[in-house]
Amino acid sequence: MKSIVIDPITRLEGHGKINIFLNDKGNVENAYLQIPELRGFEKFCQGRRAEDMPQITSRICGVCPVAHHFGAAKALDSAFKVDPPPVAKKLRELMYSGYIIYDHILHFYFLGGPDFVVGPDAPPGKRNILGVIEKAGIEIGKEVIKHRAYGQKITAILGGKATHPVSGLPGGVSKGLNAEEVKDIEKMSRSCVEFAKFSLQLFEDIVLKNKAYVDLILSDPYQLKTYNMGLVDDKNKLNFYDGGIRVTGPDDKELMKFDVKDYQQEIAERVEKWSYMKFPYLKRVGWKGFVDGQDSGFYRVGPLGRVNAADGMATPLAQKEYDRMFETLGGRPIHSTLAFHWARLVELLYVSERALELTLEEDITSDKIRNPVGEPGEGFGVIEAARGTLIHHYDVDEQGLIKKANLIVATTNNAGPITMSVRDAAKGLIKNNVVNDGLLNMVEMAFRAYDPCFGCATHCMPGTMPLIANIYDKNERLIRSIKRN
Amino acid sequence: MMKTIIVGIGNPILGDDGVGIHVLRELVPKTLDQDIVLEEAFTGGMNLLDIMIGYDRAILIDAVENPDDPPGKTYTMDALQMTSSHSTNPHDTSFPEALEVARKMGQKNIPSEIHLVGINIRAQYDFKDRLSDEVFRAVPEAVKKVMDLL
Repeated sequence: MKSIVIDPITRLEGHGKINIFLNDKGNVENAYLQIPELRGFEKFCQGRRAEDMPQITSRICGVCPVAHHFGAAKALDSAFKVDPPPVAKKLRELMYSGYIIYDHILHFYFLGGPDFVVGPDAPPGKRNILGVIEKAGIEIGKEVIKHRAYGQKITAILGGKATHPVSGLPGGVSKGLNAEEVKDIEKMSRSCVEFAKFSLQLFEDIVLKNKAYVDLILSDPYQLKTYNMGLVDDKNKLNFYDGGIRVTGPDDKELMKFDVKDYQQEIAERVEKWSYMKFPYLKRVGWKGFVDGQDSGFYRVGPLGRVNAADGMATPLAQKEYDRMFETLGGRPIHSTLAFHWARLVELLYVSERALELTLEEDITSDKIRNPVGEPGEGFGVIEAARGTLIHHYDVDEQGLIKKANLIVATTNNAGPITMSVRDAAKGLIKNNVVNDGLLNMVEMAFRAYDPCFGCATHCMPGTMPLIANIYDKNERLIRSIKRN
Repeated sequence: MMKTIIVGIGNPILGDDGVGIHVLRELVPKTLDQDIVLEEAFTGGMNLLDIMIGYDRAILIDAVENPDDPPGKTYTMDALQMTSSHSTNPHDTSFPEALEVARKMGQKNIPSEIHLVGINIRAQYDFKDRLSDEVFRAVPEAVKKVMDLL
């Protein structure tokens, strides 16, 4: 067996490594994405005060602090048997919209989008925000920076700080909004709606009008027929903050809609000896190994999982774009991994519209922002992080201390599909021992679409971020090494 | 007098990764008489740059990974000369890239001096809120390196 190792992954840090195993004929037998997960979280939480969880969990990940913050706050609502007042829910959702705005803009323009905007064949040094600015122009660059900052500012006005939110408490939030702040957020939201429309137009002009890109989106290596999961409201419209967890099949039929408290009955986690990651699958469908299709229990979360699992968007402009996306890509559901990028932009429009709606709610400046808590117990929280469904589950003792904590994060939910997408992209590019030079780019594009979240640390040491493919012969001797910085 | 911000970077619940925060907290009593802003940041890239805008000088304190040196070794570097660095997380741009974007966009008030005081660590993936012995012992030296820059 030969193996190719790609390590580390540019623009996706946390020491992810891709191992590609070839068979004797020199074709891809298997490929794995290995991620060293952060460990010991449950133990770290034991004995800590439950009300500290929104702060502690927001430190798990530097990019998803708001998702963890409210995932935790919602689990605490449940643990302390309290339903936050309506305005508190609106304020949480509004703050959450700010987070999705900046996160989705960051991903499209800085991380995933450059593959398309600058081009999949462009040198890696160009496939970044600087390349996007070069191609799209400085003025557009300024708009990108401005609206990313708006998302941050909306989050900060409501949460204290965008990266260390402190507003989520069991039973509500700690801070309301005054009329001036609402006006400020309303203005920014309006601008974000326009920017989201512009971004979709940019996607149309650069990607959809380019046949080669559309062919790439629809090409076999990037198709994966899995189940889809996402939060939906009572009309089965996509929702980031609240709702039931809906799962639809590769045939688009609803498999189930369940409450987060039943997640352990519906989701199992498979352990494989080659990865720290667990691979969740749907118990009702079962484990069939790393295969897709109706009989395999894998599901996808994140922008594509969400748009597929929902029946539509709850805001008018996003609904129009949603319909257009499905129409263009050949109907429901969408199986193309690269369509994650398009779905992300449709969601950007939705959250911008939703933020605007929330600022116009009459009671948004109300000070009834918290309800008193009850006796502690077991609690479940679910929220749609930018990159997919996030579940927090705590067991709180009678003194209000954490006995047990379990989290299923978005990237874990996507672990199986990411592995298969990497494998399929590699399969298309390695034939009979010949490794296509585009291998690294194409494999990267396969997992970058998911926006996977690896262990987040903050090392700042100057150094290069090489991408290496090591190719071994069947005796595991290194015969070729492709490296780029 | 240069308007100065000192930023301790790191994840405070990821052991040695949070050493920048530990060093920053030691600096609080030492800089009370000076007009300096101290900030904790669990972030990188664009967000990190946002924090520094409007200051003449920024001093970053962060964990670094250099396998050739023992853990606990400290360094002072000119962050404006860095050509590449890891960002906080997979979803952000690197700090030098953020800096270049800001310059290209005509961003004003970028600090003219950005220093990095680094403390060498070994990568780790276990949640804990305490430092390892080697890195803990390096905190006073890192504090001194920051004070020497002021």
